[in-house]
Amino acid sequence: MKRMTAFFLAAALVVSMAGCGGSGSKGEVQTGAAGEAGAQSGKDSITIATDVDIDTLHPSDFSTTIEHTILTQLYDPLMYMNPDGAHEPEPRIAESYTVSDDGKDYTFKLRSDVTFHDGSAVTADDVKFSLELYMNSEYQGSQVAGLESVEVPDASTVICHLDNPYSPFLLGVCQVPIASKAYYEKSESDFSSQPVGSGPYKYTGREKGSKITLEAYDGYYRGEAAIKNVTYEVIPDQSTTAIALKTGEVDFAMAESSTMAQIQGDEALTVEEVGTSGFSYISMNLEKEPFNDVRVRQAINHAVNRENIAAVCYDNEAEINSNICSKERFGYSDDQFQYTYDPEKAKELLAEAGVTTPLNLGTILVAEKYSNLATVIQSDLAAVGLEVTIEVKEFNAYIDDLTSGNYDITALEMTLDGDTQQLEMAFCSDYIGTANNARYSDPDMDDLFAQAKAETDTDKREAIFDQIFTKAQDEAIYAVICNPMTLYVHHTDLDCQEIPFEGIYSIYNFSWK
Amino acid sequence: MNSKKSRTREQLSEFWRRFRKNKSAVIGLVLLILLVGMALFADVIVPYSKCVEQVGSERLQGPSSAHIFGTDEFGRDLFARVVHGSRYSLFIGVATSLMALVIGAVLGASAGYFGGMVDNIICRIVDVFMCVPPILLSLAVVAALGTSMRNLIVAITISCIPGNVRLIRSVVLTVAEQDYVDVARSYGTSNARIIFRYVLPNAMGPIIVNTTMAISDMILSAAGLSFIGMGIQPPSPEWGALLSAAQNYIFTSPYLLFFPGIFILLSSLSFNLVGDGLTDALDPKLKN
Amino acid sequence: MYKYVIKRLIYMIPVLLGVSFLVFAILSLTPGDPGTIILGITADPEDIAALNAEFGYDKPFLIRYFDYIGNVIFHFDLGTSYQSRQPVIDDIMARFPNTLLLAVLSMSAASIIGITLGIISAVRQYTVLDQTLVVVALVFASIPGFWMGSMLMLLFSMKLGILPSYGADTLKHFILPTITVCMTSAAGLLRLTRSAMLETVRQEYIRTAKAKGASKKRIIWKHALRNAMLPVVTTLGTSFGASLGGAIIAETVFAMPGMGTLITTAIRQKDIPVVMGATLFLAVLFSLVILIVDILYAWIDPRIKAKYENGGRSRE
Repeated sequence: MKRMTAFFLAAALVVSMAGCGGSGSKGEVQTGAAGEAGAQSGKDSITIATDVDIDTLHPSDFSTTIEHTILTQLYDPLMYMNPDGAHEPEPRIAESYTVSDDGKDYTFKLRSDVTFHDGSAVTADDVKFSLELYMNSEYQGSQVAGLESVEVPDASTVICHLDNPYSPFLLGVCQVPIASKAYYEKSESDFSSQPVGSGPYKYTGREKGSKITLEAYDGYYRGEAAIKNVTYEVIPDQSTTAIALKTGEVDFAMAESSTMAQIQGDEALTVEEVGTSGFSYISMNLEKEPFNDVRVRQAINHAVNRENIAAVCYDNEAEINSNICSKERFGYSDDQFQYTYDPEKAKELLAEAGVTTPLNLGTILVAEKYSNLATVIQSDLAAVGLEVTIEVKEFNAYIDDLTSGNYDITALEMTLDGDTQQLEMAFCSDYIGTANNARYSDPDMDDLFAQAKAETDTDKREAIFDQIFTKAQDEAIYAVICNPMTLYVHHTDLDCQEIPFEGIYSIYNFSWK
Repeated sequence: MNSKKSRTREQLSEFWRRFRKNKSAVIGLVLLILLVGMALFADVIVPYSKCVEQVGSERLQGPSSAHIFGTDEFGRDLFARVVHGSRYSLFIGVATSLMALVIGAVLGASAGYFGGMVDNIICRIVDVFMCVPPILLSLAVVAALGTSMRNLIVAITISCIPGNVRLIRSVVLTVAEQDYVDVARSYGTSNARIIFRYVLPNAMGPIIVNTTMAISDMILSAAGLSFIGMGIQPPSPEWGALLSAAQNYIFTSPYLLFFPGIFILLSSLSFNLVGDGLTDALDPKLKN
Repeated sequence: MYKYVIKRLIYMIPVLLGVSFLVFAILSLTPGDPGTIILGITADPEDIAALNAEFGYDKPFLIRYFDYIGNVIFHFDLGTSYQSRQPVIDDIMARFPNTLLLAVLSMSAASIIGITLGIISAVRQYTVLDQTLVVVALVFASIPGFWMGSMLMLLFSMKLGILPSYGADTLKHFILPTITVCMTSAAGLLRLTRSAMLETVRQEYIRTAKAKGASKKRIIWKHALRNAMLPVVTTLGTSFGASLGGAIIAETVFAMPGMGTLITTAIRQKDIPVVMGATLFLAVLFSLVILIVDILYAWIDPRIKAKYENGGRSRE
């Protein structure tokens, strides 16, 4: 009896000790807006939910969307360009730019009133340093592909020398955040963990795995931001995010389509649907029978019910598109063929190809998160007499098989963002083994992309892309299904302006009504 | 020979008489028979094609006369999926629990009974396995053996053997000290016989409880392994996978969670009640 | 007894080496390399190779293992994360306090509820109360954690608005996760305590005590309970040790940064230093907890103490 009491006492003691330790160790606690439903006038802070934590805030050596998004608040680029690639660049740290006639030199004129968060001025040397950081980065080096050297003739001019004319360069260079050379030289570790940026918000702190806080920079050259305090909270679970939005603990969050049913009925919340270049698609291994037959690929393209897939897998929050190029993207045209759901046509094409149904196509290999896609596709293919069995693999093992061509047919999502030129990764023979999953190889296609790369005239370039996508659709190289939208949910009282294509927003544009 | 046979029969009827006395155990047995019957006659109850047939126009519909358990996000009949899911889930639950029990009993009883070096080695190996995250062990199984139903069972079993060994060892530690074990030893009875004849039967209570409690855990963990490709490959139904797929619809279509959940609960309940009844009926010391 | 403790501490060395080798081998020999995982398949293969070389991932597996272990043993250095490039120990320290607090809270609550109700259930065997408790325990044991967590959140955060739905800032944030975690363990403990109690009640010495005319109360508390505690303490010790590894579901549902999500995320990302560091850190703690449990055995059951003090006797 005595011993049992002692045991419970000991347990209770441990509880209370841990309790003290636990609450004591968390010094500054920033209570969110727990319990406050909606916003009240005069509110100037915002709580944003993110499903994953950041690993780094290094301006060039980052890899995730959330890191990119937060870096966008902390740093300004030379110029801002809408990622759809169809708009003129807006001035930021550079007030203007010129391109030489041969298309190989880009000259930027800098503003003189831009300062870093520590108060020091942004100079041409900092720009040169930032560009070189990108040139040497394994993470983001492709953004400045073609850049050979950076020249600083005076304190307010930067000239980028390219090895060859490369039209996507401007969009790429507009992604480069301008960072402080002096701060980098002082401490490389602080440079990536406690950044001193050039953008509208400055970094104020972080709790690993839990939150990141930003504050409006009062010396920002375009004027101080309306929202003063920003807290990013890490909430991995989508249902929790939905509840936290409803209770008002969170003001703004990216949401998955599966939570839409829960959110759409709530008047206090608004959903923004943002188009992206990401696409979900079926990739067939063209090195294998019967996928080397164009009619079989066309049949598969007609066999899938894209509307139904968008409904089941994306809760209709996707733009149906059988073209690998998103509709908002430079180079897309409605004249390029669109495959529609037509099982009869699919059967005809299969008969033309001499296929006797039912035909076993082997396995449809997917990673776990795409198993829903595979489940619907399996049923669609079965309806035209094509049978597949589903095999789910661990993501890394799946990627191994995908890139080495060790599969028959697969379904996945991919993003080849940036300039439309990036889509060469899906078609050019150089990328077999990386992103050319179909293992498609055609010298004509390689040549068309090489022309598009060097062409500086916008209209001519558009015509080349038109040829490319017409060819890709005619040959049914992939069976693209749709462009899933990025969904942002926010309080109706929060004015978010228009969130640009690809969904990298700027909190500078936000304000409470 | 003949007398031996009749003695066995006598023991069986004695066992059955004692089992029957426990009302809740009988309820458990009836439930269990119903569940196993459902698994065996799944094709008679509802054809398998029903659980893979996708009707786009009937997605996420609540229970109705056409679909008594409603339909899932693909427009598949949930009743058919639950009925056919029993085949996979009951098999996984029982197979993994039994394997973990047998291996755990052999290792745990040896460790507790022999003590010394044997105990030491077994305990250290168990410690190693307890410290490695279960997902990693499953990843190793996938990498070494590939994915299949058999390997799924291996992966789940491996992760619960260490706990079983430690538990059985601790129970055996108490029993092994009892007088009758010493008596048996003094008669020169072999170690194996002592362990299986005297030690383990007397340690059965906590072991059976632990094993039957584990069945629902096993069914749920089968779904947890799906992200490394270890679960049942879609579109086959399995209760754990039905539940975890329903996670996204927890607020909007709760019935998707409710029906598979009820069946997991019922199977775990029936195994537990039967387990309790078995403990009582098998107990050599309960003579009344 | 001291000799026994020291001996057990020495035994931890092969266990830790075994754990480290097993984890390292599994991570290294399964598909996927950190470079491809970080940069994605659209990256230039040269960049991927350069990044892998930077991490030392291009070296053979055994060399990497010995480099790593050497650093751990001789410099107490758990390495640097591939993903964040920050010391692994920082990642662990940011999350472990939450996990420890949640583990202590939920295990205490579970043992208080589970053991007490288990005793009541055993003492009142076959009554309505006993059978109700057993069935309720089973219901709780079969409810998936995410469902329990979401329902609690729906009730206390949404409908009543009295508890926060996510985070780990104050003790208040720990209430819902604690309930979520402790319900399942309490149910298990209840059943286990009940059956262990019933088991011991049937043993000879209880009959002897009964025959000698000891009171029922005295039998339960003095004789039965102490013997029944052995399997219960084992399970309690193991589950407490295991819960130091984090409650993945509760951590995910309530957005609480803890060890469970740290390790799972790192496994998916093949962030070997993080997985290794966190697993070793937990292995040390776990071994210590198990050691304490074994010492508790001796304390509960003097016969086992005698066994330990003889240095573990051999039978034959």
